[in-house]
Amino acid sequence: MKVLSPTDALRCIRRCISQSRGHRRGLAAVAVAWALIGIPSVQGQHAKPSEYEVKATYLYNFSRFVEWPAQGVQTHSDSFAICVLGDNPFGPALNATVAQETISGKSVVAKEISAPQDAVNCSVLFISSSEAKRLKEILTSLGTASVLTVSDLPKFTQHGGMVEFILDGNKVRFEVNSATAERAGLTLSSELLKVAVNVRRSAQFGD
Amino acid sequence: MFSLRDCSIPSKLTWMNMLVSGTALLLAGTGLFAYDLYSFRVGTVRDLGIQAQIIGSNSISAVLFDDSRSAETTLSALQAAPHVMSAEIYTPDGAAFAGYRRDRSESPPPPPAIPVGQAEIYRFQSGQVALVRSITFHGKPVATVYMRSDLGAMHARERDFAIIVATVFLMSLLAAMWMSSSTRQSIAEPIVCLAQTAQIVLNEKNYSVRAPANDGRNEIGLLISTFNEMLAQIQERDAALGKARDHLEQQVQERTAQLNVANADLEAFSYSVSHDLRAPLRHIAGFSRILSEEYGSKMEPEAQRHLNRILDGVKKMSGLIEDLLKLAQIGRKELVRVNTDLNSLLKDVVVDLQPECRGRQIDWQIGNLSSVECDAGLIKQVFANLISNALKYSRRREVTLIEVGQVEKDGASVIFVRDNGAGFDERYADKLFGVFQRLHRAEDFEGTGVGLSTVQRIIKKHGGEIWAKGEVNKGATFFFALAANRRGHAQTRKAATGGY
Repeated sequence: MKVLSPTDALRCIRRCISQSRGHRRGLAAVAVAWALIGIPSVQGQHAKPSEYEVKATYLYNFSRFVEWPAQGVQTHSDSFAICVLGDNPFGPALNATVAQETISGKSVVAKEISAPQDAVNCSVLFISSSEAKRLKEILTSLGTASVLTVSDLPKFTQHGGMVEFILDGNKVRFEVNSATAERAGLTLSSELLKVAVNVRRSAQFGD
Repeated sequence: MFSLRDCSIPSKLTWMNMLVSGTALLLAGTGLFAYDLYSFRVGTVRDLGIQAQIIGSNSISAVLFDDSRSAETTLSALQAAPHVMSAEIYTPDGAAFAGYRRDRSESPPPPPAIPVGQAEIYRFQSGQVALVRSITFHGKPVATVYMRSDLGAMHARERDFAIIVATVFLMSLLAAMWMSSSTRQSIAEPIVCLAQTAQIVLNEKNYSVRAPANDGRNEIGLLISTFNEMLAQIQERDAALGKARDHLEQQVQERTAQLNVANADLEAFSYSVSHDLRAPLRHIAGFSRILSEEYGSKMEPEAQRHLNRILDGVKKMSGLIEDLLKLAQIGRKELVRVNTDLNSLLKDVVVDLQPECRGRQIDWQIGNLSSVECDAGLIKQVFANLISNALKYSRRREVTLIEVGQVEKDGASVIFVRDNGAGFDERYADKLFGVFQRLHRAEDFEGTGVGLSTVQRIIKKHGGEIWAKGEVNKGATFFFALAANRRGHAQTRKAATGGY
């Protein structure tokens, strides 16, 4: 069973109650109970998820459509790490998303890191917008390490990033740079490219 | 109503062939049709399921990254599948994500829910099949694909199948008809020929015809040869029978001729004997009378008594000879048949018999008799004989009752003469009509024993019959029928055909 952290559970209950306002209290109680026993995607059923909740889900979903090389960092590790570098904009959403999930038999963990050097142990690296200033440094330190870099920094894919979140109205979309990914030994699946807003195929750095 | 039973064998064979092949074909066609429909349905569902799975698989990233446009691009590929009416992708929470409609104005009914533990469900309803398939990605449900396909392909297939079956059915019926014409030659025609031959044999009683032989060594060939064999046997037997009959006829003719000769000899003999006996008897009578008249007074009473006895004997013998002559004459005489009124004939007889009635009280009960074709003289003798007999045997009664009448029996007229006299024992009825046969002693009732014999001869000569009924002391009744046309009376017929 999915175990929610106390803050998650509270959020859920609050949400559910606010949804049931105007309805009978019994219904609200059932919804609360339901939330407590942890039906997945219960949030999605009731309210439009926030931007970063969507992004957290996408972050996890990307890993489903990416193939890491056999000799990557991940083969030595016993977990599949999704790291956030800099200020964590997801709050508990990322933890909630990856909890109990596994990829290739490894449990998925969400990590917050501050040093770019720590990123080499991650499979997916989200570079927070707080790191805009040292983006180049971060990407350089990663080199050709097999890490899927994701960010919502503008022009991220033009600066050597792989996946960049874009807001299209109130919809979260993304664009990818398949050449950069290829250089890092990652293969982006055509399914992923299909839903990307834009696919860049040049691996040049620059501003 | 059309009945197969009365059909001729050729058409029966044709019908049978057509019926059998038609039934087999219909059954096979129905079975194939049912199987084809079934497998087509299964195939339709399977294909739809595969399509749903392909669409679902291709839309996983679109669903996961909320890109309904991409999903709709995938769905639009269904334009190539003309039978797909609509396809919808739903997110796991039941919200419609993307859709495709062949006919944009149509709105599909809500999808049926997938039962827990199943990946797919389908429903056939109102000419379409609806299928819902759950799409999983890494063990988690990510989308539900709901597709509807019309069954136009199935209906087209049904129609094609029906046309093919009907065509094959008709063609096989024609083939069966054509083939039965060839079986007709080997089965039906010999039988028809046989039946015609049998008909000829039956109608013409001609046993020399033969059914045309069949060279096949089968049951029909055997039947025909057996039939012909039977005809041959019948023919042989007929010939033997004919020969035997001819021989018998010849024998009968010979015997009859011999018998006639013997009869004639006998009659001639008895006639001449009787005739010739009369002359010496007359001498005896004449000289005895002379002896009695001229020398009677000189004779001793004893001698006179002897002489009288001689005279009595002569008289008796003379009567006997007269009777025998009459009997013999009947045989020699030809019948002269004329229409005779029996009433007047009977009246004459009664008048003639008046001397015998003198001094007696007689109750005559004479009914009305008809006219018949007969020899009047002989029939008069019959009546005279029977009535004189009746008078004779009833003379000891205080009142004699003599009844003559006519009754109808088995369509013929029977005349009877009844008296209330001495009667007779019916056990000896057959002896009544024998020559010299008497049932009473001469001491009681005199007689020669020739009278009834004469009567019987006359009746038989007329082709008739005579019989008697009686009881000792309770009278006797003599019946006779003249007409030979007493149909249904076996005895009479026998007498009529077997008579003279």
